[in-house]
Amino acid sequence: MSAYPSLAPFVMKRPWLRNMLKPVANWYANASGYRQLGLRADDLILEEDEQVLKALKRLPPQEAYDRVYRLRRAVQCSVTAKILPKDQWTKPEEDTPYLMPLIEQLKAEEKEKEDLDSLTIVKNH
Amino acid sequence: MISRAALSRGAQLAARRQASTKLGQRGYAAAASSAPSAFTYETTDVAGVKTATRDSHGPTTKLAVVAKAGTRYQPAPGLTVGLEEFAFKNTQKRSALRLQREAELLGGQLVAYHTREALVLEARFLREDIPYFTELLAEAVSQTKYTTYEYQEDVERVIHIKQAKLQADAAALALDSAHSGYLDENSIASFSEAVYAKSNIALVGDGATTSALSKWTEQFFKSVPASPSGSMTLNSKATTYYGGEQRISHTGGNSVVMAFPGSSFGKFKPEIAVLASLLGGQSSIKWAPGFTLLSKAAASSPGATATATNLAYSDAGLLTIQVTGSASAVRAASQEAVKALKSVAEGGVSKEDLTKAVARAKFDALVSSESGVSTILAAGSGIVHTGKPFQIAETAKGIEGVSAENLKTAAKALLEGKASVAAVGDLHALPYAEELGLTV
Repeated sequence: MSAYPSLAPFVMKRPWLRNMLKPVANWYANASGYRQLGLRADDLILEEDEQVLKALKRLPPQEAYDRVYRLRRAVQCSVTAKILPKDQWTKPEEDTPYLMPLIEQLKAEEKEKEDLDSLTIVKNH
Repeated sequence: MISRAALSRGAQLAARRQASTKLGQRGYAAAASSAPSAFTYETTDVAGVKTATRDSHGPTTKLAVVAKAGTRYQPAPGLTVGLEEFAFKNTQKRSALRLQREAELLGGQLVAYHTREALVLEARFLREDIPYFTELLAEAVSQTKYTTYEYQEDVERVIHIKQAKLQADAAALALDSAHSGYLDENSIASFSEAVYAKSNIALVGDGATTSALSKWTEQFFKSVPASPSGSMTLNSKATTYYGGEQRISHTGGNSVVMAFPGSSFGKFKPEIAVLASLLGGQSSIKWAPGFTLLSKAAASSPGATATATNLAYSDAGLLTIQVTGSASAVRAASQEAVKALKSVAEGGVSKEDLTKAVARAKFDALVSSESGVSTILAAGSGIVHTGKPFQIAETAKGIEGVSAENLKTAAKALLEGKASVAAVGDLHALPYAEELGLTV
């Protein structure tokens, strides 16, 4: 379960499709412009959500600090209408999901709770 | 003994029945032990796990993992409480929520608690669910994840609440303190590696057959390591008794504890058990102070209660007299209590009081081994410390042989040795050890 409906699992299961779409995906990620502001994809997730707020609290201290630093740097860039020098752009290998796994873990917890709340007992005798 | 004619008809019948059951019991009581067979634990070694079981053929079972990890053994303060709070949290296989809900569906209860010597993870459930709960306990012991967020969201919060509760309780403050300065999920996880090893735990079942427990233990406790691993080692120094005096100011109440070296599980002293019940303090009948010396001592200062208890540990014991109430009443009652102890040391115990105290001590020993928490704790704690369970019921025979002379020498030895005195509350009014006539 993820935060939004995704075709990614479908694509990832088929190597030929993945190889075909990978260059397109890379082009899209670079073209969307957040890397030029030094951000990662997970920095763009909306914070105004109970589960995201909780996931942010579960971040390790170093990760949380780095995230705030990236956001402030990006806001500064945005205010001055500039982009970062090229050596400070987020490299594709740095652009890893750090918040999404935590959100998914929280969603799984929530789903398990709902499942257990609505469970019916079937007696086997 | 009171003469038979003085008793009512009901009491006479009860006395007669008691005598006849004694005759009947001789047939099926185990030859080696003086206690009834349903009271004693049978020990076995299942694939390296020491287990003890007794079966009273009831519909429910209590199964507990008793680990040698009480506050006495923790290398840094707070670790035992932390590990206790991490019991039944997320494991590699299941989430904490699922564990709780599944246990609920089966009508079971999961409890974790600690004493100064042992950490106990206990499950209480219907007899037929033993496979499920054995697996659950093994999982809690060997596969808990000790995650950071559970520590921050659940464990730490509860520890702070517990600390605050303890600080507010004047009587408990004299006995314990926990501090979380050395505590995080990593230190708790490495403490758990030192604690949850086959050599350091015992599995105790009350109301389970040995064969069932062995079968499931063998299957599920495989994943528990045989010996402690990790960087942490338990602080397993032998207990030494020092004596001393401690005074803590507190606005929430007044309490004085006078303690003397008492009777331990390892070395049971029947005269201390009898002395504790002779001093007593809790009346066993309504609207009257009863025969015990402390309740008589406390009766003259209204508002104060005084009780004597023997706190038994594996290699040491503490006979405590605890007085609580308003400051001036506590002061007067503690002085009376010491006077009462001195009168015992001078041989001022009437024969009737001695008979009552012996009967009471014997009853306490037997009733506490009948059911409830203390038997599992005593049995498990005994196994992890000495290799065999402490059978509280077996001490009953020793208690019968205590004479007035024994009591006199025991009380004298206590008064001549060093006492430990703790006062919590209004220190202006509460007495010093010297004022009470005790040496510290």
